[in-house]
Amino acid sequence: MSQEKTVLEVIAATVEEATAKGLAQLGLPADAVDVEILDQGSRGFLGLGGRQARIRLVIKDQSEGTTDVVEAPAHHEWAEPVGEDIAGLAQGEADEETAETAREVVAELLEKMQVQANVSVRLVPPADEKDRSLVLVEVEGNDLSILIGRRSETLNALQYITSLIVSKQAGRWVPLMIDIQGCRGRRERQLRVMARKMAEQAINTGRRQVLEPMPANERRIIHLELRNHPLVTTESTGEEPNRKVTIVLKQTQSS
Amino acid sequence: MKELIEYIARSLVDDPRQVVVKQERYGSKYHLELRVAKDDMGRVIGKNGRVANAMRVLLRVAAGRENKQITLDVVDPK
Repeated sequence: MSQEKTVLEVIAATVEEATAKGLAQLGLPADAVDVEILDQGSRGFLGLGGRQARIRLVIKDQSEGTTDVVEAPAHHEWAEPVGEDIAGLAQGEADEETAETAREVVAELLEKMQVQANVSVRLVPPADEKDRSLVLVEVEGNDLSILIGRRSETLNALQYITSLIVSKQAGRWVPLMIDIQGCRGRRERQLRVMARKMAEQAINTGRRQVLEPMPANERRIIHLELRNHPLVTTESTGEEPNRKVTIVLKQTQSS
Repeated sequence: MKELIEYIARSLVDDPRQVVVKQERYGSKYHLELRVAKDDMGRVIGKNGRVANAMRVLLRVAAGRENKQITLDVVDPK
C-alpha cells in the first residue's frame, strides 16, 4: 500500500501533545511535516467525557518513514461485558432516568453491604460518534478500599450487578461505570503507562507481549493508547474472565 | 447479608415472588441458599457463573463488616 503522501493520524489529550507524539513516532523534526488539526478535542472526565484532540501529520518529503492509519479494536470492547449476558436487550443510551435508577441501586446495594458512602451520578456524553453516553456513578466516603478489592474485583462485581439491575429495569442495556474516589482515573493512568512500556518491550525484544488478564474496560484503555502506534498493534485473546491484551509487532512494511 | 442477596435476586428475576433465601449457621460460619423459579436460574447464575460469583464477592464484603464468613449456593428448584 504505497500512498502518494505518507500520513499519520495521532490522538492525544491536546493538539500539542498529539503533534509531539506523532513526531516522536515518526522520528522527524517539526518542519518535515504538515500538521492538520482534525479535532481540537475538549476536556472531559477519564478520557471518556471529553474528546481527544486528533491531528494528521503529512510528511512533506516522503523519503523516510511510512505509517498507515491504524485501526485498532476499541469500542466493541466496551460494549462487551454486559451486553452478551442480556441477550435480546437493545443497546440503549444513558439518560437522566437511568442515571437516577443507577444511583438508587448502588445506594441500596451499599446500604445492604453496610458500607457508608455518598453516591452521586452524572451523565458522561459520548467521546465520539462511535461511542455512547454513559452513566457515571461516583462513590465517595471514608476508607472505601474494601469496595475496590484486589485488582478492582469488588468494584467490578458491584458495577456488573448494578448494570444488570439497571438494564433489567430499563428494558435495554445501559452503559454504566462506577468510580470510587477517583480510582478509575488512577488506574487509567497506570494502564496507559504500562501499555507504552510493554509496547517498547515488544519492540526491543521482538516478541509479542501478553498482558495480565483484565476486564473489558481496562483492555479498551490499552487498545486506545496504542491505537496509533506505528510499530505495534493490539489484540485481545482468551475467554472471559481471563481475556488478555497481546501487543504484537506489526509486519515490517514492504516498499 | 441475607437481605443483600434477596435484593439482588429479586431485582434480576422475572418472578420475584419465588425468590427465597435461607440462612443457616454452622458455628462461626454462615451459609446462604438461594432459590428462584426454574426459568430464572440463568439470571442469578449467569454465563460461567458470573452473576453468582459477583454476588459472592459483594456478599464477602457484607460479611466482613460483621467479621463473619459466609458462602452462597444457588439451589435447584424441586
